[in-house]
Amino acid sequence: MPATEAAARPPRRIAARRPDTGATAGRRRARPRRRSTLTSYLLVAPAVLLSALVVVVPGVLTAVAAFTDWDGIGLKARWIGFANFSSILRDPVFTTALGNNIRWMLLFLTIPVAIGLLTALLLLTRPRSRTLYQVIFLVPYVLAPITNAILWLNIVYNPLSGVVGYANHHGLNLGEPLSGLHTAIYAVAAVDIWHFWGFLTVIYLAALRQTPVEQVEAALVEGANGWQLFRYVYLPGIKSTLQLMWVMIIIFSFLAFDYVWLMTQGGPAHATEMLSTYAYSFAFASFQFGKAAAVGLIMSLFGLISSFLYTWLSRKDLNA
Amino acid sequence: MPVVVKWRYALVMTSALALAVSGCSSGSSDSSSAGGRKNLQFWFWGAPPAHQAAMKKILVNGFNASQSKYRLSVTFNNNVDQNVQVALTANRGPDIVYGSGPAFAAAYVGKGKLANMDPYAKKYGWKSRLLGPMYESGTVGGKLYSLPNSLNTLGIFYNKKVLAKLKEPVPKTFAQLTSVMDKAKAAGLYASVTGNKGWKPVNENYSSIFLTHDAGPSVIQRALTGKIPWTSPQIVKAVQDSADFYKKGYLAGKDYNNLNFTDSMQLLKDEKSPFFIGPSLAFQFATDYFNDANGNVDDLGFTSFPNVNKSLASPLYTLGTTASLSINAHSPNKDGAAEVINYMLSPSYAKQMTKVWPGYWGVPLKKFDADPGDFSGLSKQYVTAIQNMINTVNQGNFGYFTATFFPPATEQALVNIDSVWLGKTSARTFLDGVESTFKTELDKKLVPPIPQQK
Repeated sequence: MPATEAAARPPRRIAARRPDTGATAGRRRARPRRRSTLTSYLLVAPAVLLSALVVVVPGVLTAVAAFTDWDGIGLKARWIGFANFSSILRDPVFTTALGNNIRWMLLFLTIPVAIGLLTALLLLTRPRSRTLYQVIFLVPYVLAPITNAILWLNIVYNPLSGVVGYANHHGLNLGEPLSGLHTAIYAVAAVDIWHFWGFLTVIYLAALRQTPVEQVEAALVEGANGWQLFRYVYLPGIKSTLQLMWVMIIIFSFLAFDYVWLMTQGGPAHATEMLSTYAYSFAFASFQFGKAAAVGLIMSLFGLISSFLYTWLSRKDLNA
Repeated sequence: MPVVVKWRYALVMTSALALAVSGCSSGSSDSSSAGGRKNLQFWFWGAPPAHQAAMKKILVNGFNASQSKYRLSVTFNNNVDQNVQVALTANRGPDIVYGSGPAFAAAYVGKGKLANMDPYAKKYGWKSRLLGPMYESGTVGGKLYSLPNSLNTLGIFYNKKVLAKLKEPVPKTFAQLTSVMDKAKAAGLYASVTGNKGWKPVNENYSSIFLTHDAGPSVIQRALTGKIPWTSPQIVKAVQDSADFYKKGYLAGKDYNNLNFTDSMQLLKDEKSPFFIGPSLAFQFATDYFNDANGNVDDLGFTSFPNVNKSLASPLYTLGTTASLSINAHSPNKDGAAEVINYMLSPSYAKQMTKVWPGYWGVPLKKFDADPGDFSGLSKQYVTAIQNMINTVNQGNFGYFTATFFPPATEQALVNIDSVWLGKTSARTFLDGVESTFKTELDKKLVPPIPQQK
């Protein structure tokens, strides 16, 4: 670039926003601008401070605690390096819990997604009644987990007064879903899926409704059948929503706690143990907060991977 | 908006946030005076409404009327253990500390969270008033830090009507017990009713039963003091026997995970089983089903669990507590807290509470001079059960309840005994894990004092 040309061009930002009116004018404007910046920082400060207090500080402390033998009572702890991690990785219960979390994720990536998508597609053709249906489908989602868990424990799984008990006493052998080593996790997941799919329906329906009507009409005029309409018109339109929900489901799956704790507390014999219940037992039943923090860090790792995956997919879409 | 106004606005916003944050961090311990009295706080578990009302009437009103220096208030919350743990960590919390037992208190003592209660023990004569092994269990390094609020043991609740229908007496031996349970199963009944629905630590009742009545108190006492390993043959056998007991369906068959104590007591009342095997604190659940209104109080009986190992002394009781009471080391009103604890450990308080809430207030007195005839409903039987237990403990025949005498991580390991019951691991491998966990806790001095057998 010729030196004269460079010298002739004003700095890009200033040139774009404000013509240079000379050195004196620049100095005159400098003070209010600095004040304005300071005010902006002060206004942002509460949010930053709150985030730091609620997210960053506990996060950093948890990460530090994972490398100590902190018992959760005093403030003193001994630095023990990776001892918590090696102890956890040697524990067969950790492997069981991790396997259960992965199983939980696969269940949630398929069953509620399929039900939610199918229901949303059906509701798409019911413009008048779909609001009512959405409210009905959302009821389990808005109820507190303890309410849902108690409902299922007493009305469905109870061997005396529940549906399962009734079926077993009337010749239809459903076994004892919550007692079986191989069935307990599916029995608990069923309750969480029942509570969750309605939420996915609402999200997917909102995304489907964003599809341009012209595209749908054009496809219909061209003779597209239902599958083709979904595959080539609706699906590309809701792809980003599907991706986002998949990532959120992966994150939620590694944080799953409430329904498992309320219904089985990780039992029987660790059959429904999750990383979260495993960590909770360390922290609140045996005063091993260091180990609990280590499990928490491992759980966060999966969430982090999912977040990176989502960011990568989003960028890939933008670049495409 | 002028810059100065913006600046002020920002300052106000920041100050408001700082105030909000400081407000959030304020503790719950309030020692300020109210009406000339100092406030005392006691956090308790979220008992049923009727029991909360009884506590408010007998403990809160009773204590407040008994003196003019303090005003006691009780907060009920099901997460009391976690709340206490977090509050004590921050050097805050209630004046009177409710804990899960001496083992949990020992963990807090190591961090200076509980006050030494020796001066109060001397002042109120607790050592001479309370059962020796129970008093000892609350000491750490020879100093007193906690006291149990109630005795708790493990035994058998039985329905007399069902036993009569089966034409069987109350079992006195383990062979008789299993024989009646086999007969009950053959008759289409549950062998016994119990279950861990909603509360997995129910498992440790049965690990405790087999450690006491199979391995024996002397073996467990040596294991708890580190003299023998947890993988000793007697303990391996006891754990294996508990697994066999479970596999034979003697613990509610396939419904162990689907029942809780309330369901179980209902089934016992409905004559669906001859037995409920569990802790004596279950009297509090039994009162809903066996009461004067239903006219079936006399249908229920309670007896100690028979020995699996015939060489052990009989009767034998697993010695445990429902909870422990301590004084917060950071309480500004330690004298007041001690006065409340003393109030709760008095024979008159035990009698008053047992009349309305049997099962939870069997104060571990050396002599419980109560006449069962003065009580109605199940309280009568509960008083008898506690008196029998006190007599047996005074003779030195007692085992060690895991929730009371075992350090926290070891106790948690024994809660997971269902891994052996369901065949996911062998008794020996399971106890290898217990041994490793226990060694770590023994090294950290987290094992409470283990009272000696006579």
